Amino acid sequence: MSDDELDPVIHAPARLRIVVTLAALGDGDNLSFTRLQELIGLTPGNLITHLRKLEDAGYVTTNKNGSGVTARTSVAITHSGQAALEHYTAVLRRLLDSAQPQ
Amino acid sequence: MNDSAGTGEGTKMDVQEAASIMQEARDRAGREFRLSHRASFIVWGLALLLGYGTMWLTVRGQRPFHGPSPAAFAAVTLLATGSAFAAITQARAESGVGGASALRRRIHSLSLVVGLGGMFALEGALSRAGASRAVIGVFEAAAPILVAGLFYLASSALWLDWPVSGLGIWLVAVAAAAAYAGPVGVWAVGALAGGLAFLLMAAVEPWLRRA
Repeated sequence: MSDDELDPVIHAPARLRIVVTLAALGDGDNLSFTRLQELIGLTPGNLITHLRKLEDAGYVTTNKNGSGVTARTSVAITHSGQAALEHYTAVLRRLLDSAQPQ
Repeated sequence: MNDSAGTGEGTKMDVQEAASIMQEARDRAGREFRLSHRASFIVWGLALLLGYGTMWLTVRGQRPFHGPSPAAFAAVTLLATGSAFAAITQARAESGVGGASALRRRIHSLSLVVGLGGMFALEGALSRAGASRAVIGVFEAAAPILVAGLFYLASSALWLDWPVSGLGIWLVAVAAAAAYAGPVGVWAVGALAGGLAFLLMAAVEPWLRRA
């Protein structure tokens, strides 16, 4: 991926929402799967699909605590995910600037 | 939601659309993750205004001063309820958020409980040491406001919230000034200067959150 290219892992509406939402958490924080689902508005299956792609890229981590009805899956953005979002934002800004009429 | 549309795969997203999705997601997350103190402000405000107001009505005109009646119990209950409600509101705001800041909020809520507990212990110690009923009367009215002020000052330090910082400083000043009003006046000053400050904060909080 070149410096002027938008990261294809992030450049999808749902994944962009996920990454931006997780990046808004405080340092060292995580978000429960159900709350993330509520905020993004995806079905559990779709959310899992997107999270898997982000996890494969090393942008998010998921952790499952407990078992049975008390099980809680939490999702957090990684440092690499933060850096990827910053890069994505910078490229997006450049593209928006260059698209504006002089 | 349609599953195939929901995955977003194959959806062509131009840069304008990406920028607006980012902005919308950022704004929403900012709103959802930001802690609202409004409910706790209302409860504290009413507890002070009604609880302290009732105490003042009970003790005014006492000759000699012998302190509040069972209304003291009612006021303490109101304050305790206020604290519990504040904790519940915080818990709701952090719903779904785990990790460092959730732990920070729990410790912060604990500081209020510990502060109020310590205050009651001190009151007992003052009584045991032979403090007059008037001295204890001043202490039992001013100390909870001092504890609340320090609680909100700590809150503002944790979440860098300047209006809450102002409230904390105001409450500490009210506690100190009210104590000078004596064992009767302390209740009236606390009810008005403390209670109304909380209610004012509750009224302006939505506006401050938007600003």
